[in-house]
Amino acid sequence: MRILSGFHGVAMATTMFSVLLGASALSAEEFSYAEAAKPYAGTTITVLDEVTPLQETLATIVPEFSKETGITVQYELLSHLDVINKGQADMLSRGGAYDAVMLHGAQMGPMLDAEAIRPIDDFIADPKLSNAGLDTDDLIQRPFRTLAFFKDKQYGFINWNYNMVYWARADLLGNEIEKAAFKEKYGYDLGPAQTLKQLRDISEFFTRKRGEKLMGEPLAEDFYGVVLEGIKGANSLWLYIGNILRNFGGDIIDADGKPSFNTPEVVDSLAYWAELWKFSPPGTAEYSIIDVPTVMSNGIAAQTMAFSDFVLGVDKQGASPLHGSFVYGAPPVKEDVDPSRYSADGEPSMIVITQGSKNAEATFLFLQWLTEKKQQSALLKAGNGGVPIRESSWAELKSMDGINSSLMDAMKVSLSRVESKPLMPNYYQVIDALAEIIQQVGLGTISPQDGAAQGQAALERLCRDNCLLK
Amino acid sequence: MNKASTREKTLWTILAVFYACIVLFPVIWLVTMVFKPADVMFARPTVFFFTPTLANFDYIIAQGFLGNMLTSLLLGLASTLMVILIGTPAAYAFARFEMKAKDDLFLFILATRMAPPVCLVIPFYLIYSNLGLLDTFFGLTLAYMTFNLSFYVWVLRSFCRDLPVELEEAAALEGWSKLQIFWKIIFPLLRNGIVATSVLCFIFAWNEFLFAFMLGGKSVQTLPVAIPKLITAQGVRWGEVAVVAVIALAPVLAVVVLLQRHIVRGLTMGAVKG
Amino acid sequence: MSMAIQDASAPAASKKINWYPYILIAPTFVTLIVVSLVPFIYAVYLSLHEARYGVVKDFVWFDNYIQLLTEPAFWNAMYVSGLFVLIAVPVQFMLGLGGALILNRGVAGRSLIVPLLFIPAMMAPVVVGLLWKIMLAGSWGVLSYNVVERFNIVTESSIFGSPHYALYALIFIDIWQWTPFMMLAFFAGLQALPPGPYRAASVDGAGPLRTFFKLTLPLMAPLLFIIGLLRIIDAFKVFDTIFILTRGGPGTSTESLSILAYKMTFDFWDIGHASALAVVVWIIFFIFCNIFYQVAKKKLNAF
Repeated sequence: MRILSGFHGVAMATTMFSVLLGASALSAEEFSYAEAAKPYAGTTITVLDEVTPLQETLATIVPEFSKETGITVQYELLSHLDVINKGQADMLSRGGAYDAVMLHGAQMGPMLDAEAIRPIDDFIADPKLSNAGLDTDDLIQRPFRTLAFFKDKQYGFINWNYNMVYWARADLLGNEIEKAAFKEKYGYDLGPAQTLKQLRDISEFFTRKRGEKLMGEPLAEDFYGVVLEGIKGANSLWLYIGNILRNFGGDIIDADGKPSFNTPEVVDSLAYWAELWKFSPPGTAEYSIIDVPTVMSNGIAAQTMAFSDFVLGVDKQGASPLHGSFVYGAPPVKEDVDPSRYSADGEPSMIVITQGSKNAEATFLFLQWLTEKKQQSALLKAGNGGVPIRESSWAELKSMDGINSSLMDAMKVSLSRVESKPLMPNYYQVIDALAEIIQQVGLGTISPQDGAAQGQAALERLCRDNCLLK
Repeated sequence: MNKASTREKTLWTILAVFYACIVLFPVIWLVTMVFKPADVMFARPTVFFFTPTLANFDYIIAQGFLGNMLTSLLLGLASTLMVILIGTPAAYAFARFEMKAKDDLFLFILATRMAPPVCLVIPFYLIYSNLGLLDTFFGLTLAYMTFNLSFYVWVLRSFCRDLPVELEEAAALEGWSKLQIFWKIIFPLLRNGIVATSVLCFIFAWNEFLFAFMLGGKSVQTLPVAIPKLITAQGVRWGEVAVVAVIALAPVLAVVVLLQRHIVRGLTMGAVKG
Repeated sequence: MSMAIQDASAPAASKKINWYPYILIAPTFVTLIVVSLVPFIYAVYLSLHEARYGVVKDFVWFDNYIQLLTEPAFWNAMYVSGLFVLIAVPVQFMLGLGGALILNRGVAGRSLIVPLLFIPAMMAPVVVGLLWKIMLAGSWGVLSYNVVERFNIVTESSIFGSPHYALYALIFIDIWQWTPFMMLAFFAGLQALPPGPYRAASVDGAGPLRTFFKLTLPLMAPLLFIIGLLRIIDAFKVFDTIFILTRGGPGTSTESLSILAYKMTFDFWDIGHASALAVVVWIIFFIFCNIFYQVAKKKLNAF
């Protein structure tokens, strides 16, 4: 057999050499979970998480960890409110029924205040447990950094990157009759809203009464330009703060935690909010996280802003008659505001180790394992999509079949703007007070000016001059 | 009371059936949802005719809701049985005998039901956590005694008023022990009242949510606790909710239908002054 | 029969303490003390302390109570719960009694209708809440679309989205759920009425209205009292339906005492404060029931 000659031979040799070099380099560094877990093999850890299709997909992958390490994981899923109430009850009582509990970003403030989370810095510093090749710089930074760190400690790796996207009816926005009428009325082309002004204009444009025409056909019932979640609560409040107030350049507190609700930005954004409510169905004040997808899939509203994983549940075959006729984008921003301040609402969430856990090391290994590129890739494949926590996942998602690329692009932009909720010890009292105010403003029972003043008064009463966790 | 004429009876029957239809319309709708496909579930305009599907059952079975049902059943039976054993003598005693501070003792029983359960659940949780009673069958059975026992004694007591003292006296004269009197004379007479009241207790235990949720866990998970799992942040699985609701209703309905004669008879015992 | 007095098997000496009844009630009391009194005492203990996050800290005397009784949220909740009970219970009471009278007059197929009518009371509160969300949710509810919108009953808002209508809708749902229960209980009571007095009354020429007020009502008094009191207590504590349908909103128009308690317990984890609420509600009930009981005993001879 003739050995490959000349150029080819050298090329091959070089390739083989570098592969061998690379391979040996890899094996010198590669972290082994089996090795790290040896002292803990045979233990069982209990993990509490929220039940959504994302976690249900993860549940199919979790047994792999046990195979690799010999540590059994009892992965328990409960509904949104239940995972919060039960999880917090266990964490606060240090009962240890759970080794790890999923916390939404909003819960971090009170849980840190109660010192109920076990930091993981000592584990990260321990070479026997920590994988140096984890590549946490690959995690989508803004949500991760604002969620997992407080003062000089780290409390977990990010697990779930819930984020909001703008969601609209592509068929309406692309209809020729509507496009012509829109251009005539507003002077620019109709398309998915990228600015708040466009969101407002499109909402106004498509709000029509029964009998008026939509896409050339008379309407059998009233139609609305936008549907908003308006039930008194944190979701509605953050829909306003994260997507509107912050994009107006304002916020509820300043960088030092001082209440800053009585500002022109707040008043203007509240006026905007109240105006949007006029283009939303009459039931807005009762619409919760459950109603918005239902109303969108009923086809009586043209646009909304909703959590992207909801969309995954509605925009699929068999779930809604309007499946396939939606377009997505990042939540609209305001034109004249500095792009570095662009904001999108989201709720980065992570599984943390409880203070009552007796198997903290084993739990840490599990949480680190979940964050690995390998597991994240498996998770996205098993779920045929999903919401990534790593930047490197975007390319992978794009290459998958049947992926809604409009949604993926929207999530990517949105996640680059998402920050976790501010860390406040009386986070829930603050939310309760402000939620009531913005609902009143939306309903029109108080003016934006009064809303701003009352909100400021409530904040000052609750936190004096610093709302943030010290 | 005068006997109603047939014409009057027909009128009342029509009225009753009409009322039943109005009251039961939501329930009937729920039953149709069991077989309704997801994309027409809340369509506008309302879709009344659709091709039925069994898809809503898959998730329920896969998630082990039938296991939850079994847990609910066992828990309901166990706590109701305990309540009957402990509460019946007490109800009888309150109806039959003079006691010091009887009124106060009786009000104490009612008082145990007066604080909103939402407020008591955390003290319960903390105590149970310390005693290791969380997520145990025994712990939850015990917790259910809180509201069921007081309800049982309070209601059954008034059904004990018609007890024939003469029979007891005669039996005592013949030398029967107190226990014999209780078992052979009193208990059979109370039977219908016991059935009626304990069915109500069972229904309360079967449907109870808050305590089962906070004090239970993965090992002890009742049916009502499993329902919120269908309310995910990605939307409500309405078809599955309908399935679980109907499954939850069926056993209770069966019990009531089968025992209704006893229940009616039981509720009439001593319920009025005679 | 008249109230049984002395234990027949004891000798006539009335000074001797009869232990028998105390033995009979002992298991009940022991159980209730362990299962009800202990947590309640613990709650009282918590209410006197700063107990954020369930961790008992400083003893604060009655600070939690003062804070509670001076905050508008508490009085609003009292108002909401009070209004709820004040409307829901009498309405379901009267409808139930009326229905029972009708059933008693003679309705064919009673043994089928009665259990069916009982279904609402047999459903888990969580399910009832979800069911009515399906019925009345703004724009996508079955009845919302086919009845409310069709007949333009509520236009500017939806039922649960309106601070004016939401509470009444919730009251309606409570009536829907519990009227059949009252009907069944009262029907059973009517069935047990002795025929004798009625024969005498008709001989005397008494009309149906007079018979009802002078004969039926007094005879039914004990049952009406018991069922009524139980419903009042339970209606005051109603939670699941309100939670699922409005979460206490819009604004605070449906924030009942239980919803407020939930907020304080699970949102704020302000356990001392929530325990104070439990104690205050308990005290209110205790006074109320005491009065009720004494009245029923003397005036209605119900016990």
